[in-house]
Amino acid sequence: MKDQRLETRVDTQTIKISAQKAQVYYGTNHAIKDVDVEILDKTVTAFIGPSGCGKSTFLRCLNRMNDTIPSCRVEGKILLEGEDIYDARVDPVQLRARIGMVFQKPNPFPKSIYDNVAYGPKIHGLTRNKAELDEIVESCLRKAALWNEVKDRLAAPGTGLSGGQQQRLCIARAIATSPEVLLMDEPCSALDPIATAQVEELIDELRSQFSVVIVTHSMQQAARVSQRTAFFHLGNLVEFGETGQIFTNPQDPRTESYISGRIG
Amino acid sequence: MTATPRISLFAQDTRTKRRNAAEARFRSYGLAAIVLALLALVWLLISIFSGGLPAFKQSFLTFPVTLEESVLDKGGKRDPAIMAKATTVTYAKVLAKALEAEVAAKGLETKLKTKDLTKMISEESPATLRDRVLADPSLIGQTIQVSVLASGRIDGYYKGRVTMESAAKDKNTSPEQLALADQLKAAGVLTMQFNSGFLTMPDASDKRPEAAGLGVAIIGSLYMMVVVLVLALPIGVAASVYLEEFAPKNRITDLIEVNIANLAAVPSIVYGILGLAIFINFAGLPQSAPIVGGLVLTLMTLPRIIIPTRAALKAVPPSIRDAALGVGASNLQTITHHVLPLAMPGILTGTIIGLAQALGETAPLLLIGMVAFVRDFPGAPPEGLFDPAAALPVQIYNWTQRGDPGFVERASGAIIVLLVFLIAMNAVAIYLRRKFERRW
Repeated sequence: MKDQRLETRVDTQTIKISAQKAQVYYGTNHAIKDVDVEILDKTVTAFIGPSGCGKSTFLRCLNRMNDTIPSCRVEGKILLEGEDIYDARVDPVQLRARIGMVFQKPNPFPKSIYDNVAYGPKIHGLTRNKAELDEIVESCLRKAALWNEVKDRLAAPGTGLSGGQQQRLCIARAIATSPEVLLMDEPCSALDPIATAQVEELIDELRSQFSVVIVTHSMQQAARVSQRTAFFHLGNLVEFGETGQIFTNPQDPRTESYISGRIG
Repeated sequence: MTATPRISLFAQDTRTKRRNAAEARFRSYGLAAIVLALLALVWLLISIFSGGLPAFKQSFLTFPVTLEESVLDKGGKRDPAIMAKATTVTYAKVLAKALEAEVAAKGLETKLKTKDLTKMISEESPATLRDRVLADPSLIGQTIQVSVLASGRIDGYYKGRVTMESAAKDKNTSPEQLALADQLKAAGVLTMQFNSGFLTMPDASDKRPEAAGLGVAIIGSLYMMVVVLVLALPIGVAASVYLEEFAPKNRITDLIEVNIANLAAVPSIVYGILGLAIFINFAGLPQSAPIVGGLVLTLMTLPRIIIPTRAALKAVPPSIRDAALGVGASNLQTITHHVLPLAMPGILTGTIIGLAQALGETAPLLLIGMVAFVRDFPGAPPEGLFDPAAALPVQIYNWTQRGDPGFVERASGAIIVLLVFLIAMNAVAIYLRRKFERRW
């Protein structure tokens, strides 16, 4: 039953990222075990699970941010449109331009709002002149629902914004390189409920253009913003499917325990 | 469990009293230490400034001198070769005669002869006048107003070093000379003026402290600082960035790390021996040259720049690196666009403090021959870097070794100059730190 539904989704929507038997080790610690996940295009996929279950680790594997940790080792296959991102020929820099990332804590550069958004397009040479760059900055800030608040002070430092605004600025920065996939690592955990609502609304809008993967501790958030949900527990992918189905009719007893608040 | 008797909040129990007493004691120890340190600092400053400030004032004798052609240019043709035959001895006589005439003109009473008057004028002064005439032969035949250095003893009389009693036992001066000096002072011939020569003139020999200046030492120190800055800053920053950002974390980098920390603690004289062996004996660079001093000080300063630079790089929050890597910046872009600018205040502060240490370093320079007596100014860089020069701290060391008491004042004055340079460098460090202060 579950498998059939999954099949139909795959037929109608293209697979963006596909992980096959992905393993992650920190030194000798086996952090992620045999994870098979398919991230669809123009879909929000939520990773939920108790702290330390490996959902953030797995997210960071998707754009090779874990490369910066020397003891981290990834096995198995993670394919972006059929190409293995851990292939020796892959330059992580190019990969990260196609798979953007928003972090848990808002981390704007200590530069102006404009420069924060313009940085990605600049280093990737996406624009030919200042006018094009201005256009990208404006459209990204608009998409991040920040334009009206900051259009008069683009030269002001990004660090001077409020927490919610900073996080939306980080989202604008991440989408400025026109990535295909946007990874979000608990993007709302440092935000108040109003800012959280704004970011969630934004995620829903971004879905029309990107594939979004979001790690969250809040099951309500996962239920609100995502179409598909993956439940991780102790490094294993326990259950993966339609969000509605995971929350209303979980197949695995562990999922049920978690969403009803008994483990985690 | 026994019920403890209830104590009023207004009364302290014994335990609280003991704890409060311990805290009060500890505070008073700390306060005492601070007061002691401040007293020592004040004492140091008072002794340096009271000893050194007189070096910036100097006694000058101002009187007209007639430069007669028959004495100074026997050929009368302004031929440099012939003019040069008039030595400083001749000029000394000319000056003494002119002073004698001035004494007479002012109607001052003295039993001193021309020979004694010569001793009131610094031995440096005839040479100064001679250089002036040789540089401008048209002066010959004219009567010009000159302002020449008085001798060190006369100068010392006005700075409290020399008294009538000590002059009576001194073969370099006499009470009569001092009495005449008092009259000259009253007549306005002898004046105390700001001694710009202390900062511009080269060192002078043992007998003429009044003419000794820091000119060569300041230029030598400046050249060395330029060499240190140009070499140590880029090498130090590059080494730090490599070790911190690119080097694999393994046993070799651990070993390098430990050694850098140890090198910062190696006594500076060891670097002097190293410099002597490598730069002078092996590479054949000249002795006493600012280039060698600069290289030795660079070796010494490098670990002192690398350590704070690495600390500054470490202090950049990882979230900024993540942010840059996350939008697809390469490692190098992350470092040059984000990490280095944020680490800049720390790097600059470390560099300037390293430079300030290098500026005050004496021991390694002694070993590479910068202790030599140098009277010629080094040329313009880059060739001038290979000319012999002195250095400020070594000049201080040198002057404290000299016999004439006039050099005590010179050494203290040189310490003031060195302190001013150090304070200026630290002020620059503070300014840069404020300017580039972290803005996140």
